[in-house]
Formats: sequence, C-alpha cells, structure tokens
Amino acid sequence: MAANVAIAGRLRSVRRLVFLYLRCLGQQMKAILAYEADFVVLLFSAVIVQFTGFLFIWTIFQRIPNINGWTFWQVVMMYALIFVTEGVGSLFFEGTWRLTNLVYTGQFDQMLVRPVSPIVQVLASAVGFNGLGNLVTGFVLIGISITNVPVAWTPGRLLMLAILIASAATIRVAINLASAASAFWVSSPWSMVPMFVHQLSEFAKYPITIYSFAVQALIVVAVPFAFVSFFPTAYLFNNEAWSAIGLLTPLVAVYSLLVAVWIFNAGLRRYESTGH
Amino acid sequence: MSGLRKYSAIARTSLEITFLYRTSFALNMIGSIFYVFAMFYLWQTIFLGSPGALGGFTWPEMKAYLLVAFLLNALMTWFAEWNMSVDLREGRVATDLARPMDFQASRFASAVGPVPFEFCSAVAVGAVVALMFGGIALPADGAHAAVFLVSAAMATLIKFGLVYCVSMTAFWTTGTDGITVGRAAVQNLFSGALIPLIFFPDWLRAVAAVLPFQGMVSTPALIYLGKMDTPTTALMLGVQALWAVGLILLGRLAWRGAQRAVTINGG
Amino acid sequence: MPLIEARGLTKKFRQAVKEPGLVGSLKHFFSRQYRDKIAVDHIDFSVEAGESVAYLGPNGAGKSTTIKMLTGILVPTSGSLVVDGLVPHEKRQQNARKIGVVFGQRTQLWWDIPVIESFNLARDMYEIPAARYRDNLAQFTEILGLAEFMNLPAAKISLGQRMRADLCMALLHDPRILYLDEPTIGLDIAVKDSIRGFIRSRIEERGTTVILTTHDLGDIEDICKRIVIIDNGKIIHDGDLAKLKDTYARDRVIHFQLARPPESMGPIGAGLPACEITTDGLRLSVRFDRFKLAAGEIAAAVMPHVEVVDFRIDEPEVEDLIRKVYLGQLSLSPDAPQTGVLAGA
Repeated sequence: MAANVAIAGRLRSVRRLVFLYLRCLGQQMKAILAYEADFVVLLFSAVIVQFTGFLFIWTIFQRIPNINGWTFWQVVMMYALIFVTEGVGSLFFEGTWRLTNLVYTGQFDQMLVRPVSPIVQVLASAVGFNGLGNLVTGFVLIGISITNVPVAWTPGRLLMLAILIASAATIRVAINLASAASAFWVSSPWSMVPMFVHQLSEFAKYPITIYSFAVQALIVVAVPFAFVSFFPTAYLFNNEAWSAIGLLTPLVAVYSLLVAVWIFNAGLRRYESTGH
Repeated sequence: MSGLRKYSAIARTSLEITFLYRTSFALNMIGSIFYVFAMFYLWQTIFLGSPGALGGFTWPEMKAYLLVAFLLNALMTWFAEWNMSVDLREGRVATDLARPMDFQASRFASAVGPVPFEFCSAVAVGAVVALMFGGIALPADGAHAAVFLVSAAMATLIKFGLVYCVSMTAFWTTGTDGITVGRAAVQNLFSGALIPLIFFPDWLRAVAAVLPFQGMVSTPALIYLGKMDTPTTALMLGVQALWAVGLILLGRLAWRGAQRAVTINGG
Repeated sequence: MPLIEARGLTKKFRQAVKEPGLVGSLKHFFSRQYRDKIAVDHIDFSVEAGESVAYLGPNGAGKSTTIKMLTGILVPTSGSLVVDGLVPHEKRQQNARKIGVVFGQRTQLWWDIPVIESFNLARDMYEIPAARYRDNLAQFTEILGLAEFMNLPAAKISLGQRMRADLCMALLHDPRILYLDEPTIGLDIAVKDSIRGFIRSRIEERGTTVILTTHDLGDIEDICKRIVIIDNGKIIHDGDLAKLKDTYARDRVIHFQLARPPESMGPIGAGLPACEITTDGLRLSVRFDRFKLAAGEIAAAVMPHVEVVDFRIDEPEVEDLIRKVYLGQLSLSPDAPQTGVLAGA
C-alpha cells in the first residue's frame, strides 16, 4: 500500500516535471518564432553545415572504397548520429549552453527560488532552432544510410535503432549538462569549457579505429562520444569486432545522465551567486 | 599621420583584449586542434590504405596542407568575428558613427590587431601536431615561402572583406549566429579547408573556382607546397587581389545601406 | 516558535588573490592563492510570523548574502538556519513554495514572453489552485495597474512596470514570507507609493512576513516595524523602529517663522536653558530633547518675546539616524564597549 502510494507520488512528480519542462520550452519557442528571419536563417544554416559535411565524406569516398573497412554509408550513419543528437541537444536542451552565462551574471538565482528542479529549468530555458535543421537532415541521412547497407531491417532492429538514437541523444545532452556545470567552478561570461568539450565530438564523426589509443580512451571512457555514433553504428551494421559494445549504449546513457546530474548538484552546492 | 595612429591604437587595444581573454583564446585554439587531430588521423588511415599519392598529394604534403589550412583559419578569427557582431548587436555602432573614423578601417584595425598573436600561437600549436605525426613538408625554397606569406596576407584580407560583409546582416536580423555558422560551413568546403579542391568532382570544382573562398586557403596552401607553376601562381595571386578589393568595396556599399537602416531604427 | 531562526549563521567566500599582469596570471594559474572573505559572520536573529523587518546596512555589509541564504540560493558555511521548519538550501524547492522573492536588480519574469504568460507559468510551477490564481491575479492587476502592459514581454516594459509585475508574480501563490531586495530602486515616487501600499496591505490583510533590504528610507518607514542593521557581516542593531527613534533620535527641531528679526535672544535663551537656539534672518530654530520638554513649552517660552507668523517641527530623519550608525557616530549595539567603561572586566 505504502509502496503504491510512493510510486504514484513519484510518477506524479515526474509527470509534473515533464509538463513544466514542456510549458517553459513552449514559451521559449513562441518567443523565438517571433523573429521569423532568424528562425529561417538558423534552420537553413544548420542544413548547409550538414550538407557540406556530407559532401566532404562523399568526396573522400570517391577516391577510396573504405576507411579501415568502414564503408561510405556506415560513416554517413556515424555522421548523421552526431548531427541528430546535436539537433536534439539544440532544439530541446539548448539551455545547457546558457548556464555559463546565467551563473556568470547571477541570473541563475531566480531558478533556485522556484519550486522546480533547477536542472529542468536550465534545460528548458532556451530553444535552438538550428537543431530542427540538424534533426531533419540527420534523419534523412540515417534513412538513406540504412537502405543502402546490406542489413535486414526487421521490426526488432528498427526498434533497436530508435532505442540507440534515444540513448545517443541522452549521452549527448548529459555531456552538455556536465560540461555546462563547469560554470560553477570556472567563472566565464561565455561557454568556453562546454565549447571545448563539444569540439571533442569531431573525433566521433569517424570510426574510432583510426585513432591512437589515447584518443580512443578519451572518447570511449572519459567523454563517451564514441557511444553517440561509433558503437551504435557498429551494432546496427553487425560489425563483428564492436557490435556487442554497441548494446551497452543505453546503459552508458543512464550512467552518463546520473554522472551529469551528480556533477551539476555538486556544483550547485558551491554556487556563489556573485553576479556581474 | 595622426589618422594612422588612431587605427593603430584600435589594433593595439584589440590585441590587449585578446590577451585579457587568453584563457578563452587558448581553449578555443585547443578545441580547434581536436578537429585538426581528427583530420590527421583520418587522412593517415586513408593514406595507409592506399599507399603513394592520392589526388597528387603524398602523405607529408597532405600533412602540410592540413596544417597550413589550420593556420590560415586561425588568423583573424576569434576576436574579429565575435567582436564585430557583438558591436553591431548591442548598438555600439551608434557611438562608432559619432567618431571621426572610417568604420570599415577601424573594424579592420581591430581585426588585424591580434593577428600576430594568432599567427604565433597557431604556428606553435601546428609545430607540435607536426612533430607528433612525424614532420611535414616545408616550402621548397625562400622564394616560395615569401610568396606564400604574400598570398596568406591576401587570404586574410579576403577573410576580412567577407566577414565584414556578412556581419552587416546584423543590421537586418537580430541574431547573427546562424549566418556566421552557415558562412563558416560554406567557406570551409569551398576554400579547400576541409579537403584539397583537387579532390572535388569537376562540377564542384567549377563552383569553387568562381567563388572567393579558394583564395582563403587553397591558393596559399598550394603555393606553400609548390604545386602551382609560376604563371598559375601569378594568376591566382591576381584573383586573390581582385576578390579582396571586391569584397572590401562591397562591404563599403553594404555599410552605406546599413547606415540608412540605423538612422531609421534609431541605432 | 519563530518563523525564521538563524543561529551563528556564517558565510565565507573564497576569493582568488591574483597579482596584476601576465606574470601574476601565470603564477595564479600554477599556484592559486585564496583569501577568505567573511560576508556574514555568526549572526543570530529570529523573526516571528507576521513581522515586517527592514534589513539594512551599507553596500557589501552582508545583506544580500543573508537574504540569499534565507531563500536557499546560497549554502551557509556554518551555523544553523531554519525557515518555517525547513533548512532552505536542503529543501530548496519546498522552501520556494512558501516564499516570494523580488530582487530589484533582476527580474523573475521571463524576459522574452508576455507578462501574463510569465504569470501563467508561475501558476503551473507553484501549482496555484485555479480559483485562487484567478482571484489573486484580478486583485493584484487592479491594485498594481498591470492591465496596460500585461501582454507585452518583460523586455519591452519600463522598470516601474517590471517591478510591479515582479511583485505580483512573487505573491500570486500567497507566500508566507516575502523577501524584497531593493524593491523600489530607481523608481519614481508614484510607483514607489503604489508598491509600498500594496506590500503594506499584504502585511495587514494576510499576515505576510516581510524581510526588506533597501537604501530607501521611505520603504522602511512605510513598511517596517523592526530594523536590523548589519555591518561587516555582524548585526549591530536589532530592534523596534519606534524605539530606535525614541532612544537615539530624541532631538526635535522647532522652526519659527518670525514677522521681524528678534531684538534680543537673551530672554528666549534664558527661558530654554537646555536647548540649542539658532537664528537665521527671520527664522528662529530651537533644538530640544523631546523627553525633557514638550513642543508647547518651547512655544510658550518663545511666543512672548517675538511675533510668530508660522512654525514647523522637524522630526529626525531615519536616514540621518542610520547614516550616523554607519559612520560609527552612534553605537547601537547594547554590549558595545563604552568609552570609560572598564574593558576586560
């Protein structure tokens, strides 16, 4: 009985958080849509970035059949996963990029005097419409990629694809949140540390087998970008050497999220609310 | 003479500001190294898989190409771009308008101020990467090196002209991030920063040839590697100069139009 | 049991010590040196439900730090703090439901969205029952005159409008405690009056407890009954506003406007031996201790000797009083060592 009540309470509070998150995010979206020109430019520029990236890979594969055994469409899949997850991050969780500034200016104070988790408030505090461009082109590329690779797409595998994309996006957001929480230690008017960590995702656009051990360790263990693109791709395309590790992706996602929340809360305790 | 002194003061100030934000500068620099590293590993793997030359490039040449591209991209980047759009967005232009200075020239001074520092940092960082990957090809002789420096200077002028033109859009849109990102992506592809233009299929190469971007990386990098004969070099330098002048003039035109916009919006 | 109770409440900040110049930055990078700054130093106080307290002190005295600990924004370094049965920083969200916060320098409104949407978001965040929300919103809109800018985003309204909207949002959920940090800073008199009146009505009608920091002494006199003064992180006075005035502002000045200049001051001075008398043309001013003399006695002593056209009595300004406290000219602390009293007894 007591357990049931506890579970119902938990569910209620999760539902409330999701509702509030969507409410705040919806307001941010409305605010941005008021600037129509910006919206179109952001969307369009994201598509251009993706398209040039795709052209780059395509040009390379005009000259060579594969990179370390990875074919064109497999590498496109890795690329697309990086962009889809980036799209999820910008469109729904752009707020992580605002945290550094919120802390620097002391505006973060206002999130601490409201009866809602500050993490949820931070995540819902901004919308990046370039994310929509990333999402759309990323999904198109994933769609083309999976139809060009000799793998049988059973419903089970498609479900796995969905799970892996969701997990990859979670890892990405967790990395963003954790690196944004650096703001509690390093005072800066703009997101230097998060940007720095973000740049590591460059490594995840290509098969990790091309890197030295140090780089591999960096993006598998320290900042798990490899689980955003490489390992899920290895699993989906039945790569013999790496596909098993791909199955760990959802676990890594949960782990990353817990670590990110832990880092954020540790930072919160040292928040000094200086305000510039 | 006092006119020049005004602009050199602006240049010095922006260099000082870059020092002030050296941590950001350094992190930005190191962050962009990840990209260079990724490229090096990628091309290393590609060259290992297909020994010999690829698109006319040997592996040492390709390494040199990637680092020259990195160097050129590092120049006049960090401060100039950020500063220009922030200035415009926050309406600091109004005070600039009141100053007895040419707006474009003062922007140029502020963009060029940190360039020596950017150059040295990028060379130092590039040298470390070069050492880690077993050295790179150097210019064949002093003459090539000298012409390369001329071409690199011209590349920087083109970059200024372009960034200035693009930043003018801040007068008409509230956010410039999208435009900056889109411009950088197009520029990276067509300047040859991502991949030497020779690797492009004919149709894409034809597009690149009529755009200003190739003068920003490809031309100086190919001069560095000695991949162009003397007449071609002269021709390409001429093309660079034309684009530099053209973009700077276009920027002046855009500014004139923008001033009208400022007056209308009340700054 | 008091609503707010602080015992030995302390907040230290660690400040990086850095030498100037590039060399200094390099040194700092490799071996950081820190210095502790004690912003709030072992303070004790308690506030009963329904009290209205002005929390005063010069800039950097520790006012904002205290308020930030009370609201749960900052974690105290040591000491205990209980607000309505909760430790604010541990139960931040539960605490947030019971408090309303207005920071004059910063808005709680969402910057880019219409004011009314901010209110609606607050309704959802605080889970305010629909009927109560409707009643409160209608009432506050009326009193504070919010209707004209309700549909504009916070970015587009004036400071005075913003403050009124902020105050409304802070009170929509009927908080037990209202924290106000410089609520009237930069506002014109009319807006100040409307804000003060509104706050007063909340105290009187709903028994809201108010903690106010301000540099505007009008705020204090209009809203607060009790004054707590902090300086250098320590509380140097805690007491009733009226009593403060009684104790330390005993002097009154009565100004007489005369028909013609007084012929001689002698007789007046003789009649008022304990007073300080000054003249300035047609004006005669008498400073007196109101516990020793009544204004009427002064008048009786003056009137027979001069022709009085008009007169006016100046009460001491709280401002003067507090300025004296800051300057150290007045010692308000009951246990502060008095000159001449044996030290170390």
